[in-house]
Amino acid sequence: MSGVPLAAYLGLSGVLFLLGLYGVLVRRNPLLLLLAIELLLNAANVTLVGFSRYWNNTDGQIFALVVMVVAAAEVVIGLGLVVAVFRQRMVLDVDELSTLKG
Amino acid sequence: MATTLGWLVLALPLAGFLALALWPGEPPKPVTRLIGAGSIGAAFALTLAIYAGMLSSAPDRRLHTSTLYEWIDIGGLKVDLAIRIDQLSVMMMLVITGVGFLIHLYATEYMGHEPGYRRFFAEMNYFVFSMLLLVEAENFLFLIVGWAFVGLASYLLIGFYYDRPVAVAAARKAFVINVIGDVGMVLAAFILIRDLGTLDYTQVFQRAPSGLSSNAAEAVALLLLVGAAAKSAQVPLHTWLPDAMEGPTPVSALIHAATMVTAGVYLVCRTHVLYQLAPAAADTVAVMGCVTLFLAATIAIAQVDIKRVLAWSTVSQIGYMIMAAGLGAYSAAMFHFLTHAFFKALLFLSAGIVIHALHGEQSLDRMGGLGRYLRFGYVTFAVGCLAIAGFPGFSGFFSKDDILASSLAAGSLGQALWVFGTVAEGLTAFYMFRLLFRTFADPEPPGGYTERPHGSGLAMAVPVAILAAGAAVIGWIQVPFGWSWVTDWLDPVFADSVKPQVLPTDNDEILTLAVSTAISLAGIALAWWLFFRDPARGRAAGRAMPEARETLEEAYRFDEVYDEILVEPGKELGDALRTEVEPIAIQGPPAAVVRWVRDFARGLSWAESGLVRTYAYVLIAGLVVVGVVFSVTVGR
Repeated sequence: MSGVPLAAYLGLSGVLFLLGLYGVLVRRNPLLLLLAIELLLNAANVTLVGFSRYWNNTDGQIFALVVMVVAAAEVVIGLGLVVAVFRQRMVLDVDELSTLKG
Repeated sequence: MATTLGWLVLALPLAGFLALALWPGEPPKPVTRLIGAGSIGAAFALTLAIYAGMLSSAPDRRLHTSTLYEWIDIGGLKVDLAIRIDQLSVMMMLVITGVGFLIHLYATEYMGHEPGYRRFFAEMNYFVFSMLLLVEAENFLFLIVGWAFVGLASYLLIGFYYDRPVAVAAARKAFVINVIGDVGMVLAAFILIRDLGTLDYTQVFQRAPSGLSSNAAEAVALLLLVGAAAKSAQVPLHTWLPDAMEGPTPVSALIHAATMVTAGVYLVCRTHVLYQLAPAAADTVAVMGCVTLFLAATIAIAQVDIKRVLAWSTVSQIGYMIMAAGLGAYSAAMFHFLTHAFFKALLFLSAGIVIHALHGEQSLDRMGGLGRYLRFGYVTFAVGCLAIAGFPGFSGFFSKDDILASSLAAGSLGQALWVFGTVAEGLTAFYMFRLLFRTFADPEPPGGYTERPHGSGLAMAVPVAILAAGAAVIGWIQVPFGWSWVTDWLDPVFADSVKPQVLPTDNDEILTLAVSTAISLAGIALAWWLFFRDPARGRAAGRAMPEARETLEEAYRFDEVYDEILVEPGKELGDALRTEVEPIAIQGPPAAVVRWVRDFARGLSWAESGLVRTYAYVLIAGLVVVGVVFSVTVGR
């Protein structure tokens, strides 16, 4: 086992995750929320790839690819919604967009 | 064999009731007629078969009991769904189904124009079923069940015209007073269970002489008497029966004259063993009957509603039967029950012909001269009057004299009651013939009739004719100094008596025959002189004593007194409970619970802000807490 140690992967992943989490919790702009969610997903991807190398098993990398595809689809739908909502309401604040609340 | 038929007799009216009640939609009238009257007719035929079967067996082998089902078996108390067919119950069954069938037949035409034709026959069949259950029951439990069922049937049929507030009020009154009686019966049954551990007639009567203390026997007999007084409209629980005339006339004839109101007489006769063990209670029965028969006879004189006169006369006649039963002259009481069923049903159905002809008019003030239009009704009503007045040769003559002669034979109390009974016989003759003359004899009411009163069809005439024939001759089954078929027939039923039945001696018979015949003829003559010979004299006599007349018209104001001491305080108590106690004691605790739950929920709903980021914070916080706890506890 040579090269980058596992701890580095996990450290990077942790930093990315905390950044994403901060974004999700603090930001109110839906575009930035989507961005923060991407960070969360990619933090998970880094972990998957790291463990994949550590165990010499490609399952993790395949999972990472699947996550990327899902993330791409999610961003497409999310951005579409954001554009549609913006056209309708001229608002970009998730706290204001609460009319569907039960 | 007899018991199988007995069950069938019970099942037929029940089946008729169920068929009519559950028929989808409104059955066609011919079908209603067929089921309604047919079921009772078939029951009558089967009862005749039972009777014929009994006649062909020896007198002491005529008691049959049969158990269908074990109803209760708990803690040593065993009560079966069982029937008892003996001479007494067969006699009742014959009248219930026989007279009942004639009245059903009459009602097919009488009720023809009324809405609720099906409901009427369904309820009538239900009544017959309940009454048969009452007389066929082999234990006190099913006696009480039948007792309560007939009370319900009576309630339903008095309130048949449920859109009339008077009828509904009358129905409610009848039901409430009857429930007082039901409570008495149930308490009596509890004492029997406590002291004798059984409710079966056979066992109760066997064990009662040794197992019941004299106090307990008096208590049971008095409590049963409460039931009998309520059902048979005896003073002081009599006030519901005159009001019950709000029901249709066939109902008055069947339930409130011929059958149900005589249940009290049946009860005393059936439980004669208990009453013989309780002499004070038996005397109370006799005195109560005598007071009732006398008061009711005086009240009937002043009534102006044709059906109310008949109602008070029913109260009075049942008073005679109750008096006889209390004095121990059971077969005389049952004999009068039999003849009374005929002549009182006849009188009600004849009055029904009049009411039908005048489209519902019941006031004597708007009647008179009807004999010209309703010749048939005049004749049959006259037969009924002769029978109830005790005119020699007609049925009431034999049965009432049997009661009076027996009471003369029943010691000093009986002799005292005999005086009142005999005087009341004169009153009976007087008020009945007053009724007859004011209805049928001239003059016509002021202004005459707007349209010519119309006679009735065959379905009404035939039953009335049969009843008239019965009312005329049925008394000949028991003739003084001749034969005594009723007493002989019922003799085995009273064989288990502690004391022998009271039977009149020859001297009692002669004295009663002479005195009561003279008195009743005098009553008829007085009525004839006042209301037929010169009706102006009758009107003048009524005006001469306005106060007495008013007192009698208002039936000694029993209703007013009951309102004053029971109904009004009851209402006030209810109002006070509603305004003072109910909001605090009843509504308070649940309202507090409701308030507490609502406040708690309000507090919880604060957490449901709807802001997704808030939820995310809570989620992360929870995750951190779990992580910390996990690493602290498991990580080591």
